[in-house]
Amino acid sequence: MQDRIGINQLKRRDFLRAGLVFGAGAAGLAAGYAAVPDAFARAVYAAKTNGLGNDNILVMIQLAGGNDGLRTVIPIQDPALHDLRPKLAAMSVGAALPITPSLGLNQNLKGLKSLWDAGKLAVVEGVGYPNPSYSHFESTRVWETGDPTLRQVDGWLGRTLAQNYDSAGHPLTGCACGTTGVPGVLQDAQATLTVINDQKNFGFTGKGDVKGQVGAIYKNTPGIYGALFDTALATADDAVSTLKTAQSAYRAMASYSDTTKLVYASKNQLDAALQLASELIVTGTGVKLLHVTLGGFDTHYTELTRHDDLMAYLDQALSAFYQDLAAHGKSKNVLVATWSEFGRRPKENASGGTDHGAASPVLLVGDPVRSGVYGQAPSLTALDSTGNLRYSVDFRSVYQEILNTHLGADAHEILGGTYEPLGFLGSPVGAPAPA
Amino acid sequence: MDVTSDDVMDAGRPAGPRRRPNRRQVLGAAAAAGAGAGVLRLLGAGDSQLASLQALGAGRDSTGGRLDWVSPLDQEQAQISHLLRRATFGADSAELAAATSAGYSATVERLLQTPADPPPPMPGGDPTGPLNLGQLQLWWLEHMLNSATPFIERMTLFWHGHFTSDYQKVGVQTPFLHWQNLTWRDMALGDLGTMLSRVTVDPAMLRYLDLGTSIGAAPNENYARELMELFALGVGHYSEDDVRAMAKALAGWVEPRPTGSVQVTLDKANQVVRRLPTYAQPSTGVFVPRRAYRGPAYQLLGKTDSWTTPKALAQVLAQSSTAGLIAGKVVQSFVGVNAAPAYVARLADGFRASGYDVKELMRAVFMSPEFLAPASYRALVKSPTEFMVNALKAVGARNLGQLAAQSAANMGQALFAPPDVGGWPHNDAWISSNNVITRVNFVSQLLGRVRQLPPASDIARHLDSTVSPATASALDAAGDDQTRWFVALASPEFQLK
Repeated sequence: MQDRIGINQLKRRDFLRAGLVFGAGAAGLAAGYAAVPDAFARAVYAAKTNGLGNDNILVMIQLAGGNDGLRTVIPIQDPALHDLRPKLAAMSVGAALPITPSLGLNQNLKGLKSLWDAGKLAVVEGVGYPNPSYSHFESTRVWETGDPTLRQVDGWLGRTLAQNYDSAGHPLTGCACGTTGVPGVLQDAQATLTVINDQKNFGFTGKGDVKGQVGAIYKNTPGIYGALFDTALATADDAVSTLKTAQSAYRAMASYSDTTKLVYASKNQLDAALQLASELIVTGTGVKLLHVTLGGFDTHYTELTRHDDLMAYLDQALSAFYQDLAAHGKSKNVLVATWSEFGRRPKENASGGTDHGAASPVLLVGDPVRSGVYGQAPSLTALDSTGNLRYSVDFRSVYQEILNTHLGADAHEILGGTYEPLGFLGSPVGAPAPA
Repeated sequence: MDVTSDDVMDAGRPAGPRRRPNRRQVLGAAAAAGAGAGVLRLLGAGDSQLASLQALGAGRDSTGGRLDWVSPLDQEQAQISHLLRRATFGADSAELAAATSAGYSATVERLLQTPADPPPPMPGGDPTGPLNLGQLQLWWLEHMLNSATPFIERMTLFWHGHFTSDYQKVGVQTPFLHWQNLTWRDMALGDLGTMLSRVTVDPAMLRYLDLGTSIGAAPNENYARELMELFALGVGHYSEDDVRAMAKALAGWVEPRPTGSVQVTLDKANQVVRRLPTYAQPSTGVFVPRRAYRGPAYQLLGKTDSWTTPKALAQVLAQSSTAGLIAGKVVQSFVGVNAAPAYVARLADGFRASGYDVKELMRAVFMSPEFLAPASYRALVKSPTEFMVNALKAVGARNLGQLAAQSAANMGQALFAPPDVGGWPHNDAWISSNNVITRVNFVSQLLGRVRQLPPASDIARHLDSTVSPATASALDAAGDDQTRWFVALASPEFQLK
């Protein structure tokens, strides 16, 4: 008759009868725990004293799947493009929005073209790294960690977070919006960060003091995942409280796009993610490093409509984000940068798409940029042995400038090297603006 | 089963002996807790036990290291619970009782040998035309909950993460994803060679990785690359030339032809009606010789030949890295992280020697000392699907599959919608602030909808009577069964397997 007896009523002999472990085995159980190193240790709000002394904010937008650089920033004067891409080139070249005599933005990047005209868009051409990997996962890891040798396990912004920011009381210092897991870019064993998929559902539901109850359970959790669980919960707890305050203080001042027009829906709601990013920035939650993702760029087939769609979606969401920040008077400290694991093969395939490639452009948007084209547009006639574009700018040059100039961090310490300077950002942190 | 190997996992685990309070301390703690104290409190952390742990640094040892679970896997009862948590979706009382009376080895054999309990038809009959994604997801979740062979469902989920496909690219205008699920279940414990043949010509896969539009004259590399990188060889075991050669070798397949059509209203308000294809029965892709590559012989993975699809897939199986890639993925999903390379190599050797028989591989895994070693205990994080199905079974709510279906996306695992071609994430990647909240909220909702909870004494079994001091205290402090179940299912312990 133990069926309805709660644990507290169970007597010792009942455990025995119920076949529960006891006796010699229980010694081990009651002993409880043995020491293990934290495999996924995180410092819960580890206090850092060397927090960076500026108000600058970075938003990274991942274009997941491998964005076609030749359909983003189009070499409109190059006849070779038509030879390589009879189907894909014709339409896009004619409709492109010129930014220099030889380069035009994808026809659907209208908002970005306006930002270019306003001096708020920089394009870095031909960004890549030596001996490129054509694997989504390897190349994504290279970009995430900033290490083409794949030895580094932590993300470049995760390391920035862990090494530079005082996250005590600021669980939102690093935040991934519009995803359920921690993106590789922000990953670091010592970084505390928040992940918010859907703002509407980010908070505990249920009767009573769920927060308090769960908070009491996720404490000193043993095992290799223990620290990760405890930190995730503590971070969630604080982020939820901060967000509640933020939500009431924020009103969007631009119209974010909707995804309904996408032929091939993206898993990631970039518009919602950027709107959340804006809310976090506008309401002064202490956010510094943000990451959002737009998927669907692996355009092996019928690329023409798919890629144009994605460009339109990116353009709408990003333009709205900028307008929203500007309308709130918050745009001057915010830099947006895109990244993608690779570009695509210059030669199109028989499915009306393109296979995995190498170098592609990085777009930088915001008041902090010095508008212009940096790096070299890769040659379409001097392809490498795999038929891919050769890079002219190491992607770590872009990271270096963001770290040193925008965030005021020590890029050499974070990247473990020094790379060619580019100059797409205005004055370095702390320096007077150029006359 | 005699388990002595403490060092099968070569990282993230202590090199030296484990710290355990001695037996007298422990018994003292038990005595102090006294008769009538809660089982978890007694076994997990009585007050004085808590004190002794705090003396160790409240969950950290004197060197600052975190404390680990003490494995109960030296006892058969715990071994069986551990097995069923990993090989199925956790056991309810009846399943556990049956397995316990059969014993560990016999239970392993039963899991391996029982033919798959086929899923019921989808509501309204198996679709011949367009699919309803929500219905498809729910249909599978309900079968995970109710199937007499949940091990087969667990393996089907494993292959859905390995040979993955995403509804957003495949689309739901055809029944292809439903067919794929049936095929993956049917081949779940078969041999890898047959699997690769079936996967290559699976209509949903033909769409997902574009093989269905590839032609020999200008091949699409998508499937060829992922076949080698993700499905079989692993990165570093083929060259870019091999990717191109494989794409040539496999070109020529197209989707099956529809046998009819059906009028479907896509948008009622705007009266958008479209005619969509129907298919009398599930079928595979069709090979069209004139679409294939028709040039001279060429080299693929070190051998020159006039390659055909069967020859190319045989060449994949002939590569030494293939067995290791599959064995490594199985270990990551069923045994632990950071497995010793020698362990994976041993499993791979056996897998290859068996003619790539997945049943043999799974038997080798479940019967290996490493599977039951202390380092394997709670070494894996349940995926959202495993967590939800396990929770529903634990509280006897097999009728609430809908709750799992609607909660899945915000936990990161909407079925048929993997994040990318790499399939589902693993272990630590499932833990984030977002996912802790969504898992806890799922528990709240679930408990709000269960009319009669099982006795709270069941909890000890679900948690192997091995809980942290914090969880033990919360269970002790709980005033009613609803709260006890909340603590149990929301606890970190229940997220682990």
